[in-house]
Amino acid sequence: MTRFVVRRLAGSALVLLGLSVITFTLARVIPSNPAALYIGPKARPEEIERVTRQLGLDQAPPVQYLTYMRDMLTGDWGTSIGTKRPVLEEIVSRLPATLELIAAAMALAIPLGIVLGVLSARWQRRPPDVLVRVVSIVGVSLPAFWLGLLLQVVFFRNLDLLPLSGRVSADLRFTAPIEPITGLYLVDAALGWNWAAFVDASRHLVLPALTLAAFPIGLIARMTRASMIETLDQDYIRTARAYGLRDRFVTYRLALRNALLPVLTVVGLTLAYSLTGSFFVEIVFNWPGLGTFAVHSMLNVDYPAIMGIALFGAAAYVLINLVVDLAQAWLDPRVRLA
Amino acid sequence: MKGPMKRHASSQQQRTLSLLLPATAAVLALLVAACSGSTTPAPSSTAAAPNESAVPTVSATPSGPLVLKVAATANVTTWDPVKSFSTEALYMANIYEPLVWINPPSVPQKFTPALAVSWETSADGLRWTFRLRDGVKFHDGEPLTADAVKQSIEAAATRGGASFIWAALDTITAVNPLTVELKLKYPAPMDLVASSLYGAWIVSPKALAAAAADEKFFESGIDAGTGPYTIESYTPDKEVLLTKFDGYWGGWSDTTHYDKVLISITPESVAQQQMLDGGQTDIALSLPLENIGQYRTNPDFQFIDEPSFFNYVGFFNTARKPLDDVRVRQALSYAIPYDDIIAIGAQGFGTQSRGPVPAGVFPYSPDVPQYRQDLDKAKQLLADAGYPGGGFKLELTYASENQNETRFAPLIKEAYAKIGVDVTLTPMLFNQQWERAKGDPVKRQDMFLVLYWPTYSDAGADNLWSLFHSSEKPFFNLSYWKNEQYDKLVDDAATLTATQRDAAQAKYVEAMKLLVDQAPGLFFYDTKFVTAIPKRIAGFQYNLNYPFAQFFYPLHPAN
Amino acid sequence: MAIGLAQPVVGAPPRGFGHRLRRALLTDPLGFFSLVVIVLLIVMAIIGSAMAPYPMQGEGASSVTTRLFPPSWAHWFGTDLFGRDILSRVIVGARGALVVSVAVVALAMAIGVPIGAIAGYSRGRIDGALMRLTDLFLAFPPLLLAMAIVAALGPGLDHAALALAISWWPWYARLARGTAISLRERPFIEAARSIGIPDRTIVLRHIVPNSLTPILVQATIDIGTVILAAGSLAFIGLGASPPAPDWGLMVAEGRTYILDQWWVSTFPGLAIFVAVLAFNLVGDLLRDLLDPRQNA
Repeated sequence: MTRFVVRRLAGSALVLLGLSVITFTLARVIPSNPAALYIGPKARPEEIERVTRQLGLDQAPPVQYLTYMRDMLTGDWGTSIGTKRPVLEEIVSRLPATLELIAAAMALAIPLGIVLGVLSARWQRRPPDVLVRVVSIVGVSLPAFWLGLLLQVVFFRNLDLLPLSGRVSADLRFTAPIEPITGLYLVDAALGWNWAAFVDASRHLVLPALTLAAFPIGLIARMTRASMIETLDQDYIRTARAYGLRDRFVTYRLALRNALLPVLTVVGLTLAYSLTGSFFVEIVFNWPGLGTFAVHSMLNVDYPAIMGIALFGAAAYVLINLVVDLAQAWLDPRVRLA
Repeated sequence: MKGPMKRHASSQQQRTLSLLLPATAAVLALLVAACSGSTTPAPSSTAAAPNESAVPTVSATPSGPLVLKVAATANVTTWDPVKSFSTEALYMANIYEPLVWINPPSVPQKFTPALAVSWETSADGLRWTFRLRDGVKFHDGEPLTADAVKQSIEAAATRGGASFIWAALDTITAVNPLTVELKLKYPAPMDLVASSLYGAWIVSPKALAAAAADEKFFESGIDAGTGPYTIESYTPDKEVLLTKFDGYWGGWSDTTHYDKVLISITPESVAQQQMLDGGQTDIALSLPLENIGQYRTNPDFQFIDEPSFFNYVGFFNTARKPLDDVRVRQALSYAIPYDDIIAIGAQGFGTQSRGPVPAGVFPYSPDVPQYRQDLDKAKQLLADAGYPGGGFKLELTYASENQNETRFAPLIKEAYAKIGVDVTLTPMLFNQQWERAKGDPVKRQDMFLVLYWPTYSDAGADNLWSLFHSSEKPFFNLSYWKNEQYDKLVDDAATLTATQRDAAQAKYVEAMKLLVDQAPGLFFYDTKFVTAIPKRIAGFQYNLNYPFAQFFYPLHPAN
Repeated sequence: MAIGLAQPVVGAPPRGFGHRLRRALLTDPLGFFSLVVIVLLIVMAIIGSAMAPYPMQGEGASSVTTRLFPPSWAHWFGTDLFGRDILSRVIVGARGALVVSVAVVALAMAIGVPIGAIAGYSRGRIDGALMRLTDLFLAFPPLLLAMAIVAALGPGLDHAALALAISWWPWYARLARGTAISLRERPFIEAARSIGIPDRTIVLRHIVPNSLTPILVQATIDIGTVILAAGSLAFIGLGASPPAPDWGLMVAEGRTYILDQWWVSTFPGLAIFVAVLAFNLVGDLLRDLLDPRQNA
C-alpha cells in the first residue's frame, strides 16, 4: 500500500508541474496590454510604462516562468489586476462560499443518487426504475444555468417561497450577524447558536445547491444502478440467495457495498464537475464565491487571477483524484496490486 | 439469465418512459408559463402584488443603527484622495469635501459653498481668494486650516491623478489660517476647478504626510476627509461600509440621517436588479436599462430620468480610404438610424446629440445641426463620391463590456447594409479596443464607438479638444483627423473661456458646426441618468455635474 | 461530461447491429424521440432560415414595435428585447449549435485518435510520453481549461470551439489507445507486421478504422455534451457575440428580465436541454446495443 501511495503522490506532483506550465503559457498568449488594464481607461502612457516594468512583463518568457514558479511556491501568486490584492488571498477568501455550495450539493446528491440508483436496480423494469431513469437522464442533460433560472422564477417570483439570490439577507448583518469562524455560514451560525442566521443562510442555499446537484444526482444514480445490476448478477449473490439469505440482507449488505466501489470514481467525477459547474450556478444566484470571481476575471482579462484560478482548480482536481484513488485502493485490494 | 431477459421485457416501460421524458421537458417549460403571472407586454407584477421583496422594510432594529443599503458598480481603484481618478469617486464624495460644490444647471446659484464659505477673483483673473469655513475638523481630529488646503492642492497639482486640472496654478499661499490665495499663470475658472470630483479633495495634512512617507497608507481603507461619512470597513470588490462622522460640521440633528451606508459592489446590473427585487438593497444605482421602464408606473418608486454628461460618439478613420472623402462620411452620417439607436440602444433614454458636446454642458448650443436618417441622400452622396451602391467594407470596433454599444452596434450594421456598405462588428474589451486604435496604423479599425464624458464641466476644453483636435500620437482623437481651422478655433476659444465666456462660446459653436459638416465622427446620443428610488427614501438629489457620485447625507427615510 | 463506454469494443460492430439499431430508433419510443429531435436539428441547421416564420429576425434584425411580446399565435415563443421572434432565433441558432459541436468533436478526434492509436500501438516510451501528455490535459476539471483558453484568446465562437476541442481530445486519445492495445495482439495485425508493412501504415490502415466503433459512439454522445458546454460558455459571455442567435447567449440576454418575461430565456434553454437529451439518449441506446455482453 505504501508503495502505491508514494507512486501516486509522485505522479500527482509531476502533473501539477505540467499544469503550471500550461497555465503560464496560456497567460502569455493574451493579446491585450495588461498594464493598461491595471490602471484604467484614461491612463497616461507613462503610467503604462511604469506598470509594465513593475509587473515584469518586459522579460523573456522562460525567465518569467522561473520567477513565476518561485513566487508560486512561496505563496505569491501575483496581484489581481481587478482588485489589486494578492490572487491567492482573493481565492482563499472566496473559497468558503464555494465550498459550502459544493458541500451542500454533494450532501444532497450522493445520498439521493445512491438511494435512487439502488431502488432502480432493486425494482428493475418497474415504475420506480422508470422514474429514476427519467430523473437521471434529465439530470445529466439539463443546463445548470437554465435550471437555476427556472428555479428562481418558480420559487421566488411565482411561489414566493425562497430568496432570489445571495448567501444571506443583507439585514442580517446588522440584526443577527454571523461570527466568521470557518467562513461556512451554516457552520458558523450553528456554532454561534444563531438560529435566525442559520435559517436564513439555509434558505439561501436551497436553490443553488439543488441546481448544482442535478447533474451529480443523475450521474450517481445511473452509475449506482448499473453497478448494482451488475453486482446483483454475480454468482456469489445468487449463491447467497440459494442459501436462503434474506433478500434485503443480500441486496443492501452484500451487493451494495461492492457495488459502491465504482460509484466512488463517479463521485470524484461529479466533484470535479461541481468545481466548474459552481461557476455558472454562482453567477445565476449572485453567490459571492470563487465562481463569480473567476467569471469576472475571465471577462476582464485579469490574467494573474485567471492563471491562479486555473491552477488552483486543476490542483484541486488532482487532489480529488488522488483521494479517490487512494480510497479505492484502500477499499479494494485489487486496485492496489494493478 | 442475463442478456436476452434484459432486452425483451423493456418495451412496456419504454413506452411509459418515452411518455414521461418529453413530458418532463414540456412540463418544465409549462410550469413556468402556467404559474407566470404576467403575460402583458408591459409587466407590472412588482406593483400589482407587493410581496416581501417588492417593499422591503427600512432596515432598522429598535436598538440598531439606521442603515441604507446601496448596490453600485463602483469599485475602488485607490483610497488615496490625491491619486483618485476613477470610480471610487462615489465614496470619496461622501468622505471628502472640496472647497466648493457646483450646482445642477437648474439651480440659479452656480456653486454651493463647501469648505470655502466665500471666494473672489481679482480683476485680471490671475488671483483667487477663498475664505474657509471655521470650526471644521478632519476625521482624524486635525482642524481645517488654510495650510491644509494649501498642502492638499499642492499634492493634487503635483502627483494627483487629475493633476492637469490645476495646470493654471502658479502658487498657493495661506494668507491667514482661514484664507488661501491662488496665483495663476493665466486666467482660469478656479471655482470650477475647485469643484471637480477628482483632484480637488481637501485632505488632513497629517494623512498627507503619512501618505508621502508610505505610498500604501490609504489603501487599507483609511480616510482623512471632512465629509459626513467615514469608512468603517472595506472588503475589496465586495462592499464598503460607511458610518457617520459625529463631528461633521453640517450636523446630524436637522433631520434623520442614515447612521450607516452599506454599499455592495455589484458589477452586474442584472445582479443589482435581483438585489432590489429580493430586498437585498434599498437603492440600486445601475439597474439594467431594459428593465427600468417598469418602475415608471410603479407607485412605490420615484422614477428619475435626468440628462447626463455622457454621450456616445463614433469615429471614422479619416486617414484611410474611402473614409478620407468627406462625402462618404456625410453619406454614412445620413445612413444612421438615430431614433432606432436611441429606442433600442438606450431603451428610449437618450436624446440625439448635436455634435460631441452633451446638452447642458458648456459650450453646448442648440444651433449646432444634426443629421437625420435619409437613406436616399446617403446613396446619392456615395454615388457622388464615386461609390455608387456602396461596395466597400468597414470594420467597427466597440467595447464588449458596454451594454448599450452591444445593443446598438448591430443597428449600424443593418442600416449600412441598406446602402451597400458591409460592416463587420468586432467587440473587444475597451482597453484592447483603445490599444488597437492607438497602435499600428495598418491594423487600426475603420469605425470606433466610444462612450465619452468630460472630466469636469467644460466640454470645450475636454470633449472638443480631446476628441477632435489633431495630435502627433493619437490619444482620444481616434478619427486621426487633422484640420487646421478646427484646431485654431478650439485653441482660441480655450484661452477666452475664463475671461470672455460668450466669445469663447461663439468660437466653439463655429468649431462644432465645422465638425458636423466635415463629419470625422458620428454623434449618436446624449445618455440620460435613469434610476428608480423607492419612495420610502427621500432626499435624493441628482447633480448632472457629478455623474459618478451619489450623496448619501441628504437621504433620509420618508416621514 | 458524459461517461464513456465501460470497456472499449473493438472490431466491427456485431452482426445484426444495423438492423437492431434501426429497430431501436424507429419502434422504441425513446429512440424515436431522439431520432426525431436529431433529424429536426439537422434540418434546422441546413434550411433554418426557410423554416423560420421571421427569418430576418432570426439572423438578428430588430423590430422596434414588437418588443417583449409574450408567447402568442403570431409568436409561438414570444419576442425578445429587440422585438425579434424567439422561435425563429431558436431555429436559426440550431446551425451554430450543431456546426460548433460537430467541429469541436471532429477536431478533438482528429487530434486525439492519432495520438492514442500511436501510443497504444507503440507501447513503451512513446506510449508513456504520450499518455503523460494526455493525463496532463485530463487533469484539468472539465471546462476550466476551455474557459482559461477562451479568456486568453478573447471571446468569440471560434475561440470557444478551439478551446473546447483542446479540452476534449484527451478522451479520444484514451479510447483510441485502449482499442489499439487490444488490437495490437490480434492475428491480422501480427500478420501485417510479419510481412513487413510499416508501422505507420498499420496504424493508419488497420488500427484506426477498427477503433472507430467506440470512438463514433463517444462522438455521438459528445455532440450533445459539447452543445451544453458551448452553451454554458456563451452564457457567461465567452462564446458568440450579439446579434448571433446563439442559444446560450439568448439565455444570458433574457436573464435581466426573466422574472417577468420568462419566455426569453426559457425557450433557448429548452432547446439546449432537448438537444442534449436526445444525444444522451442515442448514446445510451448505442451503448446498450454495442455492449459486448449482449453479443456473447
